[in-house]
Amino acid sequence: MKRFMYSAFVAFLSSAAMIVVLARLVPGPRAPAPDAGRTIALEELARHATAQDCWMAIEGGVYDVTDYAPSHPAPPRVLLDWCGREATAAFGDKGAGRPHIPESRELLETFRVGTLR
Amino acid sequence: MIPSRRLGDAALALLALAPLGAACWLEGAALSLSFLGRATAVLGLTCLLLAALTSARVPGLDLWFGGLTRLWRLHHYLGAAAFLLLLAHPLLLSFAAARSSLPAAAAVLIPGPSAWSVWAGWLSLALMAVFLAPTFWFFGRPEYQRWKALHALSAAAVVLGLAHTFALGGMRTLWAAYGACALLAFSYRVFIARRWARRGFTVVAAQAAGRGVVELTLRPDEGRLEHRDGQFIYLTPLDPGLARGRGEEHPYTVSSPSGEADLRVVIKDLGDASRALQTVAVGSKAAVEGPYGEFFHKSDADAGELWIAGGVGLTPFLSRVRALAPGEAVDIHLVYCVQDESRAHFLSELEAAAARAPGLRLWPHFFGREGPLNEAFLRARCPDFAAREIYVCGPPELISAARVELRRAGAPAARVHSEDFSWL
Repeated sequence: MKRFMYSAFVAFLSSAAMIVVLARLVPGPRAPAPDAGRTIALEELARHATAQDCWMAIEGGVYDVTDYAPSHPAPPRVLLDWCGREATAAFGDKGAGRPHIPESRELLETFRVGTLR
Repeated sequence: MIPSRRLGDAALALLALAPLGAACWLEGAALSLSFLGRATAVLGLTCLLLAALTSARVPGLDLWFGGLTRLWRLHHYLGAAAFLLLLAHPLLLSFAAARSSLPAAAAVLIPGPSAWSVWAGWLSLALMAVFLAPTFWFFGRPEYQRWKALHALSAAAVVLGLAHTFALGGMRTLWAAYGACALLAFSYRVFIARRWARRGFTVVAAQAAGRGVVELTLRPDEGRLEHRDGQFIYLTPLDPGLARGRGEEHPYTVSSPSGEADLRVVIKDLGDASRALQTVAVGSKAAVEGPYGEFFHKSDADAGELWIAGGVGLTPFLSRVRALAPGEAVDIHLVYCVQDESRAHFLSELEAAAARAPGLRLWPHFFGREGPLNEAFLRARCPDFAAREIYVCGPPELISAARVELRRAGAPAARVHSEDFSWL
């Protein structure tokens, strides 16, 4: 048991280090230019309001987060409640007034499909 | 209500699984890496809080879990499970984010400096690694007092883990209730037990039983401490003249029979503190907490008994032998394993007791001459030993060796009861 616990701890440290190092070495997905995509009206946004097809408007951009939602650290409902809606306030406040970190913003840009009219 | 081990275990299992059940119910549990990341957090935190709860050491409560030694083992496994699950938790969440991109995966592990709630989680995990490192011998065998001092960090790890969960997770009412119980257990151990559960005793005699073994007689300052044969206490010597271990508590088995007003304990010099205790001043004060444990719990009331004692592991049996009334009808074989005659402490007292109680048979085993205890030795002295209720107390090596021999001879595992202090 002692040996197993020690091995598990070392395996944890190596895996965590591996992720952090790889993230520095491998270039991330390039975000589309901020003006990429087309202009999208609120009515069109509202048609993408399900877990299978989930768009959100955040700070003027429209983002398709369908594929990402299951990977988000928070329970899916936290995100899916905002599908098809203007979600700037929710993105800016993770609870207790805490905003998302810059890395999250960069990730969000990779999902951009257009600009809110 | 008679304490039942099955009921205690069932309650603990229910408490362990309830938060995970609630989380699955709330979330609708679609199996994904991200869900596993949260589920390991829920179960891991539950295990951590239950480990805190089972560390309270409330006298009498341990009987619901088969005695304190078994409760310590449960506590140990809960702590190990908590550590493993909470190590998996950030990795699984990071793997889940890796589906989007590697930087996203790294950002789960190392968020910006403003994400205090995530850092609280990391600090909690780091503290766990520090206080569990000696438990799992990451850097070799730890010294008892250092292990104990580091273990106090667990309180900070629990508080930080709860803060992390409160900021990032749901089910706040449930965690508040669990957290409150865990912190209550901490405060009981640190503040309440020290003041109210410890009782004042005076060392009235210190009788050397041989080289490096002393039997202390402790007289309660008021009232008396009821105990059952085979139970143990935590003893805190307060003799200002002690070279080591003054004010430190250590567990010792009671050697006096149940019903005797004075408490006797046998102490072998196995460490610095117990070595210093060999010359503790008669008349000095000591604090006692307990009694704990449940060594003698028969599963078959009609069966005769086989006792296997290794060295100072004789103590719980000594307590039973001393409790025997003259001529009492018993059916007990006592195998007393020691290196040689010079280490066979209390042998003459045992022989005298065996002469008074014909049902008590005594078989000294000198492993210095006869080698390790084996089936043939047992078979020759006590042919029906496999059908008896078997109690083993001694060093871990003797217990594991005895278990192997007993299994080979066909003794059912449920009938073999053992106790040692190697839970560290």
